Amino acid sequence: MIRTVNLSKHYNDVKAVSEINLNVRKGEIYGFLGLNGAGKTTTIRMLLGLIKPTSGDAFILNQKVHANHTDLFKKIGYLVEIPYSYPNLTVRENLEIVRRLRFLPDKKAVDNIIDKLQLSDYANRKAKNLSLGNAQRLGLAYALIHNPEILILDEPTNGLDPAGIFEIREMLSDLAANKGVTVFISSHILGEISRFATRIGIIHQGRMVQEIDANKLDVLCKKQLLIVSKDMELARKIILQNGFSNPIAQNGIMHLDDRKAIENPEQIATILVNAGCPPSLLKVDEENLESYFLRTIEMNGGIK
Amino acid sequence: MKNLSAAFITECMKLRRSKIFWITIVFFVFIPLMMGLLMLVAQHPEIGKKLGLVGAKAKLFGENNWEGYLMMQNQLIATVGLIGFGFVTSWVFGREYIDRTITNILALPVSRSAIVTAKFGIIAIWCLLLVLIIFLAGISIGHLIGIPGWSDHVFNQFANKFLLISGLTILLSSPVAFIASYGKGIIAPIAFVIVMLIMSQFVALVGLGPYFPWAIPGVLSVPDGTEGMKIVTGSYIIVLITSIVGFFGTIVWWRVADQK
Repeated sequence: MIRTVNLSKHYNDVKAVSEINLNVRKGEIYGFLGLNGAGKTTTIRMLLGLIKPTSGDAFILNQKVHANHTDLFKKIGYLVEIPYSYPNLTVRENLEIVRRLRFLPDKKAVDNIIDKLQLSDYANRKAKNLSLGNAQRLGLAYALIHNPEILILDEPTNGLDPAGIFEIREMLSDLAANKGVTVFISSHILGEISRFATRIGIIHQGRMVQEIDANKLDVLCKKQLLIVSKDMELARKIILQNGFSNPIAQNGIMHLDDRKAIENPEQIATILVNAGCPPSLLKVDEENLESYFLRTIEMNGGIK
Repeated sequence: MKNLSAAFITECMKLRRSKIFWITIVFFVFIPLMMGLLMLVAQHPEIGKKLGLVGAKAKLFGENNWEGYLMMQNQLIATVGLIGFGFVTSWVFGREYIDRTITNILALPVSRSAIVTAKFGIIAIWCLLLVLIIFLAGISIGHLIGIPGWSDHVFNQFANKFLLISGLTILLSSPVAFIASYGKGIIAPIAFVIVMLIMSQFVALVGLGPYFPWAIPGVLSVPDGTEGMKIVTGSYIIVLITSIVGFFGTIVWWRVADQK
């Protein structure tokens, strides 16, 4: 549904995006992850024909994207960065403009999307008087008003409160699962994306550094056994004497990344108790997604 | 046509809610009011003294009659019109960048060319409305203060010239649209209009006014027979070509330029 071939954008010497190859399948929610300035928005702008690639191509529904491909844009809903509206027009009027520019004959489309995004209380409020969260909802309404086949969303949950984030997440999951909508969504928060994306691409310094199925994230995240005991030195010696790898002490906690110990923490407990050095803390700690994300980036050049 | 009508309706919706629209209307009513006041002062110097106006005795309109008053109106539309229509154009195009709504209207089923053309359509209507306001207000105020020397001949001569100058001035708005798009805002196009206005004064001084697009409406507004101020057929062609280049330049810019 969405495909890029060596998609690149350079501004003089700055390589904003370099040879990105993506392939997003129908009904998939593709999380496009990267730090600020990683090249996410530039990639999205190229997918929408807003900027021309320096080299490479973008295809949506097997059609090459270009600025004047108006037929293709009928099938795409999008939101790029912070959504802006005409400040002196109301929510309803702003949506009416989009309805007309999208040639939607059903006049109820505006009311329907207002209801769907819970903007009814603000329908007659001028856009300039909306809170950031409601302005974001209005931006999402622009993207969804025509029930698109493809949704391209750049940081769509910016400014939303936790309930709003949950609601949008549920809505996108429903669209993908039940209506076959393909969602391409960018974010800099892995924890948020991983909750509903089916596949995740990590972009760093303009390059795609990793592409993973979301359900394999657990396997890739590092696990450690955390141990605290009254006599940490004795505990370390006991662990070593029993054939486990050397635990590393950090901030008063021993970190043991021995696979056997992680899979059988009760063995460690038994050994320590029997040796008269019972643990006061024993916990299998899984690396959180943010930490995994940052580790992945650091392996690919670090944060600049 | 479907593209154009959809884009045009949305431009009307934006205009209707725009404060700037109403501000320009008030401004274009204010100008003939001021002209009327000056004419009144010219006719009755004692009023000028009461109001504390300096130079009340000066002959502001050449002759203090309809001919002088209407000629002043022509000169006004050639200069204030250039600024006013330039501002209108800067606003219609530049606001998409100032309000950051440009991204919302570029990847849609309606073509970018239709959006640009609709914007030019709304600019033409807006400017024509301002022309009509200044025209009607000017005539009404002139009658109200009882300017002497009204005749159908004087009126017809003025009306023809006034409409011609207004038309040429409106045509010169299209390059402003290009500058607004290129400069992504309204500062650059307004600066461009001011620079063109200043340049047209210098160009007219050296006698090249009839060949410089932005000086041509001004040249038309001065009395016939003024040295170095004779409009030639080429003058109209120059304005037309400038307008066409501005129009298509803007369309091409919208179609091909990166919209960051």
